[in-house]
Amino acid sequence: MVATDLEQPRVTIARPPVAEGLVDWLTTTDHKKIGLLYIGTSFLFFLLGGILALIMRLELTQPGVQFVDPSTYEQLFTMHGTIMMFLFGTPLSVGLANYLLPLQIGAADMAFPRLNAATYWMFLFGGLIVLSSFLPAGGAPAVGWTIYAPLSGITYSPGAGMDLWIVGIGLTGISSILGSVNFIATLFTRRAPGMTMLRVPIFTWGVLVTSLLILLSFPALTADLAMLFIDRHLGGSFFDPSAGGSPILFQHLFWFFGHPEVYILIMPFFGIISEVISVFSRKPLFGYRAMILAFIAIALLSFTVWAHHMFTTGAVNLPFFSLLSYLIAVPTGIKYFNWIATMWRGHLTFPTPMLFAVGFMFVFLLGGITGVMLASAPLDFQFQDTYYVVGHLHNVLVGGTVMAMFAGFYFWFPKATGRMLSERLGKLHFWTFTGGVLLAFLPMYQLGISGMPRRYADYTGNPTWDLLNLLSTGGAALMAVGVLFFIWNLISALRKPADAPDDPWAGNTLEWATSSPPPEHNFRWLPPIRSERPMWDWRMRQHDGDDQQAAEA
Amino acid sequence: MRGARRAVPLAIAAVGLAVAGCMPTPETTQANAIDFLYLIAQILAAGVGITVYGLLVFMIVRYRRRRPPAPGEVPPQVRGNTVLELIWTGIPLLIVSLLFGMTVWTLARVNDPQPGQPVQLSVLAYRWGWRMDYTDYGIVVQSTGPGHGPEAVLPVGQPVTITLTSQDVIHSFFVPQFLFKRDAIPGMTNVFTFNIDNPGVYGGQCAEFCGMDHYAMPFTIRAVSPAEFQAWVTQQQTQAAASATPSATATP
Repeated sequence: MVATDLEQPRVTIARPPVAEGLVDWLTTTDHKKIGLLYIGTSFLFFLLGGILALIMRLELTQPGVQFVDPSTYEQLFTMHGTIMMFLFGTPLSVGLANYLLPLQIGAADMAFPRLNAATYWMFLFGGLIVLSSFLPAGGAPAVGWTIYAPLSGITYSPGAGMDLWIVGIGLTGISSILGSVNFIATLFTRRAPGMTMLRVPIFTWGVLVTSLLILLSFPALTADLAMLFIDRHLGGSFFDPSAGGSPILFQHLFWFFGHPEVYILIMPFFGIISEVISVFSRKPLFGYRAMILAFIAIALLSFTVWAHHMFTTGAVNLPFFSLLSYLIAVPTGIKYFNWIATMWRGHLTFPTPMLFAVGFMFVFLLGGITGVMLASAPLDFQFQDTYYVVGHLHNVLVGGTVMAMFAGFYFWFPKATGRMLSERLGKLHFWTFTGGVLLAFLPMYQLGISGMPRRYADYTGNPTWDLLNLLSTGGAALMAVGVLFFIWNLISALRKPADAPDDPWAGNTLEWATSSPPPEHNFRWLPPIRSERPMWDWRMRQHDGDDQQAAEA
Repeated sequence: MRGARRAVPLAIAAVGLAVAGCMPTPETTQANAIDFLYLIAQILAAGVGITVYGLLVFMIVRYRRRRPPAPGEVPPQVRGNTVLELIWTGIPLLIVSLLFGMTVWTLARVNDPQPGQPVQLSVLAYRWGWRMDYTDYGIVVQSTGPGHGPEAVLPVGQPVTITLTSQDVIHSFFVPQFLFKRDAIPGMTNVFTFNIDNPGVYGGQCAEFCGMDHYAMPFTIRAVSPAEFQAWVTQQQTQAAASATPSATATP
């Protein structure tokens, strides 16, 4: 083992008696436990949102109203979108970042461990408040996850469900803002000696850029929600045209948050894909610096494209927002080509994390291409608010975020639990889930092009639409089967004795230097950090050392 | 390899489905411009899709390792290549520049005023129906209940100008065969013009979620020759005069 100065200061810290079980989890400030709480909670929300989606797909299998009445259906799609965007996607990336960021930079914990715990509990209670909006008379809001005014105003949504939604989402938003402050502070102040910014692992770079996006975009959402609440209960008229307000203002603020939000939901996952491809190609990430610049370019552009969600309002400059939206394709293309070039001449192996990473590249590309189509204002005149948009956004969020999430779960599960997930179940999970994603979302493109609007509780008389909807429901069922394989895999892995080595994949980054699972303060030793792949360097040096010893003997 | 053999047809089918989707037959002059833009975008998308999938499948098939590497055997540790990276920054930049140029050109054609005196149709969207007012002729057609929309009769080959607003929440005026929609926003008026090329009946619907019966908010546009249109106008006006109350239905 290479001794480093990190090993030297052996300060003995008096630890409190180890609190066991529930109390331990309720009071923990350990970033790993908080990370697992975040990941577990958001995964439960993912399952709940998925069940709502399955009910919707069941209803849409054929024309006519069969299982849920229109007003229930409208509550379902509102809450499905809300749960997936705010209670699954955002906290999932926060959870992964919580678990991994301190480990990847060689830190003992986050900069503000108690704030970290507070953000988790704010998120959890915010989420529960949002779910409780199903309870009051009138049920959950039925306005779409974008809660456009004036539909979400007191006149058209008088129920208390809308208020619970506003308060709950507001709380999770504040939690995200505080969390991002914590990530930025941790990355800037807690890096191990030798870990310069240009040696920070690419996933952690993704987290940094995401945190900056959260810091700048969530306040716009908070303001929008506050204004809506004032309109509803305190006699405001921000969005009421009869008193000088503007419904368009609501959309500007919402999408000034909403478009960066979709990059918040993808950038840490781009980081996962980059890391997984590099490890299973046995090569450094091709163009590491270009990848960082691409992150920064996407982040900057993401604040200039919000009004492409408003092309059909007749209230925004079409060429300007088309151009900037198109430009996002360039840094995203750089990422794709760098991933492919990382595989070039590599030693590729395909355990489940790599399968999901490559599957991601296949599926996400379709979402990228259709995103470029949507960036064109005239094409958007046809596609806006149709199933084309639904297909596109699910292609990037499910084919992108969710598939990258599974890549990350399979990759880091051994580190977090000390147990390997089954490769056999992993492959079943991969093929069923990926097949399901394609089958569920590709037919939506044709539905949208031919004019089926989104958020319709029912559709009528068109044999092609009937078939495409049937296929899409079949795909949703297949995805559900895939997720069941994953849950089976998860449970059987957790029931078996620990079998994972510290570094099962021959990883690149510091988390693989510690035990699986890591001890409370993460590291007993660190390898020297001379590049963004300290563990690779260390293994190579070990190998050279062996050769030298052999030569000397 | 097994995975690649499965992935190739899957990938081809996927690109095909995503980029080969067919627009409805465009029925207005403006829609023809949009349809042409879509064709160009599809060709570029297919090119990008085939290139990226081709490279990806090649890497997977060519560089897959079946046996564990010999001890100490490592692939070349290439960290980047400035020329390559400039190429794959430059080419996408060119593609999106081309698309942007096409977009601006198409927008100009969509907004281009067409010769002729336009028929003025003032459209009011509300929960959950449409009121369409031929301001020059004093004719009004209106929804008669959820799922029962009005039928607007319009001439082919002559500009039609829609003045669109809403009386409550945001709606959207969408005719799939015109490849066009525009939002109806309370407190704001949107004006747009189209020229219908061919006679026919074209379904329209609300495309911005507006509450419970959003999905049951259709309307139809029946495009007829200018002579038939004049006859329809005269008939509506006579009917209205005869019954002394404005006709509330589109049925001639």
